[in-house]
Amino acid sequence: MKARLLAITVAVLVFVPAALSATYAGGHVKKANAGTTIVVYASGDVNVQNLWQNNIIPHFEKANKGIYVKFIFSEHGTDDGTTLARIGAAVKGRHWPGIDLVDGGLVTTLALAGLNQPVSKATAANVKKVNPDLLAPVKGAAIPYRGSSVVLAYNSDKVSSPPRTLSALLDWIRANPGKFTYNSPNTGGSGYSFAETVVDSLLSPAILKQMDQGYDPSLQSNWKPGLDLLHSLNKYMYGNGVYPNGNAAVLQLLGQGQIWVAPVWSDQSLTALKTGQLGPNIKLTQISNPSFTGGAAYLAVPKTARHKKVLYKFVNYILSPAAQQMIVDVMAGFPAIDIKYMGDSIKQKFQDVSANTLRPTYQTKMGNDFKAAWQQSVP
Amino acid sequence: MSAVEHQGVALGDLEQAELPVARANRRRRPTVRSIGFHALGIVLVAALLLFMIGPLLWLMLRAFSGLWQFPQFLPSHWTLQWWRSVFDDKSLGNSMKLSFEFAPIVTFASAAICLPAAYAFSRLNFPGRRVLLVSLFATNAFPKIGLYISMAGVFYSLNLMGTFLGVVVVQLIGTIVFMTWIPTAAFSSIPRSLEEAARDVGAGPLRVFFRVTFPLAAPGIFVAMILSFLAAFDEAQGTFLVGIPNYITMPTEMYTLVLNYPEQAAAVFSILLAIPSVVLMSFARKHVMGGKLAEGFQIR
Amino acid sequence: MVLPPVAVVAVFIGLPVGAAIAYTLGKTGGPNSTVALFAQRQHVAHHGVTLGAYREVLGNAHVRTDLWATVWVTLVTVVCVVLLSWAIGLYLRLSDTWIARVVSALSVVPLFIPVVIASYAILTFYAATGFMKTLAYHVGWHSFPTLGYTLTAVVIGEVWVNVPFGVLMMSSGLNSVPNALIEAARDSGASLPRTVRSVLLPMNVIPTVIVATFTGIYVLGSFTVPYLTGPSAPNLMGVSMQQFFGSFNQPQQAEVMAMIVFVLAAGIGTIYVWANVRASKRASSTT
Repeated sequence: MKARLLAITVAVLVFVPAALSATYAGGHVKKANAGTTIVVYASGDVNVQNLWQNNIIPHFEKANKGIYVKFIFSEHGTDDGTTLARIGAAVKGRHWPGIDLVDGGLVTTLALAGLNQPVSKATAANVKKVNPDLLAPVKGAAIPYRGSSVVLAYNSDKVSSPPRTLSALLDWIRANPGKFTYNSPNTGGSGYSFAETVVDSLLSPAILKQMDQGYDPSLQSNWKPGLDLLHSLNKYMYGNGVYPNGNAAVLQLLGQGQIWVAPVWSDQSLTALKTGQLGPNIKLTQISNPSFTGGAAYLAVPKTARHKKVLYKFVNYILSPAAQQMIVDVMAGFPAIDIKYMGDSIKQKFQDVSANTLRPTYQTKMGNDFKAAWQQSVP
Repeated sequence: MSAVEHQGVALGDLEQAELPVARANRRRRPTVRSIGFHALGIVLVAALLLFMIGPLLWLMLRAFSGLWQFPQFLPSHWTLQWWRSVFDDKSLGNSMKLSFEFAPIVTFASAAICLPAAYAFSRLNFPGRRVLLVSLFATNAFPKIGLYISMAGVFYSLNLMGTFLGVVVVQLIGTIVFMTWIPTAAFSSIPRSLEEAARDVGAGPLRVFFRVTFPLAAPGIFVAMILSFLAAFDEAQGTFLVGIPNYITMPTEMYTLVLNYPEQAAAVFSILLAIPSVVLMSFARKHVMGGKLAEGFQIR
Repeated sequence: MVLPPVAVVAVFIGLPVGAAIAYTLGKTGGPNSTVALFAQRQHVAHHGVTLGAYREVLGNAHVRTDLWATVWVTLVTVVCVVLLSWAIGLYLRLSDTWIARVVSALSVVPLFIPVVIASYAILTFYAATGFMKTLAYHVGWHSFPTLGYTLTAVVIGEVWVNVPFGVLMMSSGLNSVPNALIEAARDSGASLPRTVRSVLLPMNVIPTVIVATFTGIYVLGSFTVPYLTGPSAPNLMGVSMQQFFGSFNQPQQAEVMAMIVFVLAAGIGTIYVWANVRASKRASSTT
């Protein structure tokens, strides 16, 4: 009897994967007999996954027969620490990290730690189309490939005239308790932007500039007024102080009508409006004095990546006007290259705004400390 | 019959042999038959249904809901659109397949290296025995998040990074406690006299093990294998650390699926991801509920 | 014969644990040089060791709040799991009807649901638009508290996840009490509660200790349930560690917190070992 049971279990354990693999053949494992395979790792929200998986990669592979791109995606930040460990240990020990191109928040940390292969216009010509100011914060060791900005989303059914300045927004929050929230800064950039914007409004421009460009822990006492202000807003937040985990969670609350106003990423919300995840009653606007932050998303090539020539070709392709057009069309993002290289419709659309004129965020290490300071003083 | 013949019969009967307590317990259970007790049982069932199954059912309903507003109990509009959009997504299948490839292999590999050790822990009384048993348990109590960088270094120096074997090792680590402790207890609960009797009749040590010891310890070993399978199956971060780029399993996908998609799609994913475990449960439940578990975790 | 599993654990866990301990004391060379490359706010020991990292973490009032929340949630969960496991285990032991079979099936369900899905299910069940709020609304209780994103939801989630193991353990322990003993007690006129108190309870101290310690150790280091169902603050230690490691880029502080959790878990573990040793001593002294 027991032997029979054991046999049944073994049969189940062997039969089930066979059945599953018959049902779900394929996926994204491409077996290239000849040709090169490079591995791309991206971390972010689902719209980033869609951009890579359904747009950039297929177009590149079609134009370059013999090059295959394997794509690994992980939800915003969950696996970043592990990936950082993997790449760090690999580069230190001079092994291949298993990843050739990285897209995600960890890129700037890799750049500052000197673990990246700098990509210059010598190796990828289109790098010259990128504004050099964007390369400064990462010491040239990462390549900006798209831009995005945080904007204010509001439910036009409930909010007839949305606040247009930061102080108006703060007044609105206090007048409408429970109808606004933002995600905790360490789980998503839209909430991070809101928190930073509130704190920045109480900083002098000189100090702010220092925080954007370098790491100086002694400046952090200047955050106190702003953090106290955020702390005072706790009781007016959704759920009496519930800060969701991640950008997508805030979009969901907005779409369900549980909150009426929220900071959101422009590209993510435009995509959500297009797919119907957000109803047509959700509209977007920008505040001023100060505006929300924005900036570029960066790519990195670890020092011990393989097939570097193919990678430079890939990076070059991503910075080409054709691929940048895709970023605008598919993801509603901003191009990372100067708009003078893009088509007329883009020139018109982004006349006042491009990746290098968005209000910048803090330098990476300052930003990390800011997230820690928020977590410890606000909720 | 002579003593030797008795033992020979005993050897042949050992398939049906049972330990005294179990046999006595089967004879008659002292049950409570009052109406009050049954009523209490019904209440217990209702409470368990609400507490245990309620959340799962609530989530499952979302997988079919088109429009659902608070405070309705059920969706006002049912749809299958979310199922269609999920099945259009091909990436889920591959990681599921990999999860089901690794977990059984890890379970059997763990059994292969841990069962001999469990037998030794049980039968040999060497110094430091208890210390070793406890240290196997203690090292697993250190939160793994703090260990990944150093582990990466070890894996790189052993050339295990990004390999199938590397992922097997990483998942195996989490199963060692189950695979040593529970079988140790299972082996310890078999009276030595049975093994000695078999040996007296002339059976070699391997034959003794496979005809006498193993069948009696099988339920305990089976429980250990189930728990090990589940532990290997659920292993997320370590597998991600070692498995990039070719071996990404299901648990790491789960965070993405559940947190990044609209609620209804997340509900569909949840149902799909829970099915394999439920199938396994229906096979294993009887033995897992049977009763060797408590002995598995006692140190003697 | 014993060597293989011990060797595996020693190499793949033991060595990294040693490196981690060295890192918390400020040694950034050797195996720790990689993490020292990108960490910020490190306390580096130039000679010998430094306790700076420990001082910083333990001196941080919010980390202490998180620690206290973790301990509190762990204690409450352990008590609930032990009580529930006993209740269900007793019912299963003393009853033979179809009701008992249903109860036993229901109480083991969570064992086979992945933790991520379970946490998500519990969150939506107790959320502001969840089942509990809907039910309360329909019976007129409009101010029923929203339990989602509170420590209560974390406790509910952790209890949900740990009850199956507790039930298995207790029913296994209760089953090994011979029928004869229970019958003897009943026949001599003992009421049911008295039987439980005098016969079943003393014989099942060890399984109870097992349930308590394993649940405790699990909850201490758990991440998924508090991350998905818990409040923004305080966080449980597992979530806090992840934040310090991944978001704030302070791995050394995260390692210090890991050490604290490990010491607490080891403390629970020693209770368990002590109980076992005492029981086996008592068993051998009565033979």
